Amino acid sequence: MASTPKPELRRSVTPWGSFSWGYSDVGADIFIGLGLVLGAAAGATNVAFLFAGIVYVCIGLAYTELAATYPVAGGGQYFVLRGLGDIFGFIAGWAVLLDFTIDITLFAWTAIDYLGQLIPVLVGSSHPWTHFLVTLAVIMALCGLNVVGVRESTAFQGFVSALDVTSETCILCFGFLFAFRPDLLIHTMRVDWPSPEHLMLGTSLAIISFVGLESISQAAQETQRPASIIPRTSVALILTILIYALAYSNLALGFVPWHPIVDAAGHPVQFWQIFPSTYPGGADNQGKAVALLAAQVPYFGALAAFYVPILGAVLLTISSNSGVFGSSRIAYAMSHTNLLPSIFQRVHPRYRTPAISILAFCGLAILELIFAALPSLDPMAVSTYAKFFHGEGGLDFLADLYAFGAATSYSFVFLALIALRLTDPLSPRKFKIPLNIPFTFRGERVEFPVVGVLGFLGIFSILMFTLQTHPLGRIFGPGWLVLGIVLYFIYRKRKRLPVLRSQRRDWRKSQVDILRNAGELELMDEYVANVKASDERRAQAAAP
Amino acid sequence: MIYESSSVHVTLAGVVIACVIAATVFATLYWMLHPPASYVMKIAAEAASELERMVGSIIVVFSPEINSAHMMALAVKLARGERSELLAIYIVEVPYTLPPDAEMPEEERAALDALGAAETIANSSNVTFRAETIKARSTKQAVLDIAKREKADLIILGSYREGKYSGAPLGRTIEEIAADAKCDVLIGVEGKHGTLLIDEGGGLQSAAIANPTEE
Repeated sequence: MASTPKPELRRSVTPWGSFSWGYSDVGADIFIGLGLVLGAAAGATNVAFLFAGIVYVCIGLAYTELAATYPVAGGGQYFVLRGLGDIFGFIAGWAVLLDFTIDITLFAWTAIDYLGQLIPVLVGSSHPWTHFLVTLAVIMALCGLNVVGVRESTAFQGFVSALDVTSETCILCFGFLFAFRPDLLIHTMRVDWPSPEHLMLGTSLAIISFVGLESISQAAQETQRPASIIPRTSVALILTILIYALAYSNLALGFVPWHPIVDAAGHPVQFWQIFPSTYPGGADNQGKAVALLAAQVPYFGALAAFYVPILGAVLLTISSNSGVFGSSRIAYAMSHTNLLPSIFQRVHPRYRTPAISILAFCGLAILELIFAALPSLDPMAVSTYAKFFHGEGGLDFLADLYAFGAATSYSFVFLALIALRLTDPLSPRKFKIPLNIPFTFRGERVEFPVVGVLGFLGIFSILMFTLQTHPLGRIFGPGWLVLGIVLYFIYRKRKRLPVLRSQRRDWRKSQVDILRNAGELELMDEYVANVKASDERRAQAAAP
Repeated sequence: MIYESSSVHVTLAGVVIACVIAATVFATLYWMLHPPASYVMKIAAEAASELERMVGSIIVVFSPEINSAHMMALAVKLARGERSELLAIYIVEVPYTLPPDAEMPEEERAALDALGAAETIANSSNVTFRAETIKARSTKQAVLDIAKREKADLIILGSYREGKYSGAPLGRTIEEIAADAKCDVLIGVEGKHGTLLIDEGGGLQSAAIANPTEE
């Protein structure tokens, strides 16, 4: 009797599809990050973005090399699992899971903030219950759609990404052409330079504008010729997002609005000054910074004022949906490698979707939403938050945890990059990060990645900034990791699997399978030849 | 400051930055969307680029020995897709015992049927089509001469008719044309009279339906 071949993911993601997968996730970040960083870092917003941007370039290059070398679904947690072992793979994956659940809430929250620009009843500060309920409805709707198995199509994602790239480029070009004054930028940087603590806070928040590269790695298994395409799409995404982040931050500081902005007393204020929480409505403004800036751009702003809030809301909702989809996919991949219980692999009998994963992580996202919204919903909670959490709540709480999760998982990815360069030098790397130190390690020529070390130091410093400056992040972030590690120990113990050590895995066979399934036959041949040559060298060295 | 009104501020730095942003984003996306071709893609691209050269001018050969009717629809589809010129020829082989322009009414009648059917197929697809009946001493030489005259890129030959075994699997004429032609030759060999369509219970019946001319 003939056996049925195992179904595999179809390789249908084109270069633009791969780019838009990442862009719909990372591209949405500037819609949130700009306002938060302007509120925290004031005149040094561009410096905060520059520092986070440099770290982000290192992260991007590391992801590019790893995703092109190991084109499998699973992303960062797979690289860490392979490079550092099971326990670290679990921690990285668990941190990414935190990020994905925050992703769901944070992006749904800000999508409503952007719509509030057109529909006043959705403004959080004046209608907290409406804002909360609509955000909750969005999360539940996304959860339901994912359980039923309806996702936005790649074509729709590609269309929205194309529209947003065009739109953001137009906003920036019109802004710099007609509303930018370099002398104002320099003046703002000199006069409104923040305290070191606020600069650290701003920098740690700026990193959230660059979170989402994971999506390209996640889609690696479905991308055509991943080893060739992913480096290009990743580099293009890194460059595009970096340009936008640096351009928006500099434009915001040297921006002369089309219509003068005045405060409650009627005094004119600069554009960036409407974002700190001390400004009336500043918290609301933080959630819709790009729409506010776009509406104030000469000429183009007349059109942008209407469509940018809608475009931002759509992009943010797609990004929120990526969180729902990504969390279930990560949980599936982790349970596949015995890092999480097999319950996360279970699929709905009718819809064939990982319903338990989706419901679990959407449930967690709803808890986060309640915690974030509580101070605005219940006056009783305000004093508790003021006492224990320095009065943080809402967007700050979500942004804190988002920055913590991203910084933690990225730190491990850098370590995995360095470890894999040393322990797996035989895998062909179609893209290799520049600046390497070649030497011999365990009889093999390896290249030590200098950028990996620099990137690790950069992201680790951002992690420290996060712990230093985010009252909620430093409690709930490590708390989440400790909870995960305890659950991991219990699970592994019950399954009689090694707790601190890793399971034995045949990575050589696995790598051949990965490259063959990816359709990278030339790389597969190269890998097999490398392995053969290495074995022969070892045999000759061992011979008397 | 290049220009300033109450609400518009055009500066040299702003203009330069705007141009750099637009150019960099455009160049980056262009570079991303044009990755280098892989080995298999190069092979596929070469084959595709050769297609026009391969099928620019197509000759479909009919003769009392060569039955190309089943290949005609394929030839028309190729011609339509690549906007090729299609020439259907029917070769009437004149024996050496007769003069070269001898009347051969039966063969000429068969030629009219074959080329009429070919024209009907071609007309339904709106391709450039010509038909010609040629009398010659040798089918092979006639096909090669016509191919040379027409500068043909592809000769399409059907299968050798049943019951006229001449010692070669495909028929000597077909093999000789394939061996000596200066262009590509596509030989369409009919299946075993609908064998693929036969279910286990009704093999003979299906075979008979699939090949009504065999009787």
